[in-house]
Amino acid sequence: MEIPYNVQVREDTGLYNSKLGIWLFLASEVMLFGGLFSAYILLRTGAPVWPPIGEHGSIMHILKETIPHATFNTVVLIASSVTMVMAWVSLKMKDLRKFRIYLGTTLLCALVFLIVKYFEYSHKIHEGFVPSHDTYMALYFTLTGLHVLHIIGGMIVLGYFFGPGIKMWDNEPERFTNRIEIVGLYWHFVDLVWIFLFPILYLLN
Amino acid sequence: MSVKDMTHHIANYRKIFVFLLIGTALTVAASYMEFNVQNSIAGAVFVGLTIAAIKGYLVAANFMHLNSEKKIIHWILLLTVFFLSLLLFIPLLWDLNLMSHY
Repeated sequence: MEIPYNVQVREDTGLYNSKLGIWLFLASEVMLFGGLFSAYILLRTGAPVWPPIGEHGSIMHILKETIPHATFNTVVLIASSVTMVMAWVSLKMKDLRKFRIYLGTTLLCALVFLIVKYFEYSHKIHEGFVPSHDTYMALYFTLTGLHVLHIIGGMIVLGYFFGPGIKMWDNEPERFTNRIEIVGLYWHFVDLVWIFLFPILYLLN
Repeated sequence: MSVKDMTHHIANYRKIFVFLLIGTALTVAASYMEFNVQNSIAGAVFVGLTIAAIKGYLVAANFMHLNSEKKIIHWILLLTVFFLSLLLFIPLLWDLNLMSHY
């Protein structure tokens, strides 16, 4: 049995089903990150010094060192958003070769982001700034860790469409294009979250 | 969508990319600035988050196509923003409650 409204839009919503689904999912994601942002505001406004000073002193000197890495990662993630939307545009223009190039670049950007994050985490942990050090570090690891999990989740889905999932293009090109639009919406959301995490965790302390 | 429409979209995406890069540079610059207000860090937070909000709008409106999306999506997001605001105001209510005890 064929699943309805994969390609054609419903009359009542004016959307194909998975598009409505992803927006509802993203709304729940906003609330997930929103709860953590709320915790950040509560802990920051309640702290006499921010970031708090713990057993190994203040994280400030390491934070200043990592600003160039975090800025680089911001540029990488913004670039990945552009390549993601260009991958969708390529499919709309029926150019599968360009689609592969753009989606591959998006995946590469995601990998670069994770590698930089790995070095950043290693440096902080090596200096003793672990989540239990102070409330800033706890928030830092929770927020960026959750964001990294979203990046990894996105990479798995993107990897599927770059590899075996691309077969759908041969038989159902419109449905495949819609799938890329959906994963693109998720990817842009991940970029959007980082746009807010970057200033609050790295710059405005 | 026609090829002409798509070409227009591509030009727009390039422009947004440049704006986002400029926004990132401005956010970094704002964090190093001394603001001539009572609490300089609060000034930096305000400027930094305002730039982040503009960048967020650019991503949502253009890359996520919210500027041309159906009304139902806008309503879902409006409801989400309402509950998100409520969530972000909880810490403020906490502070107000504490103040009432002094």
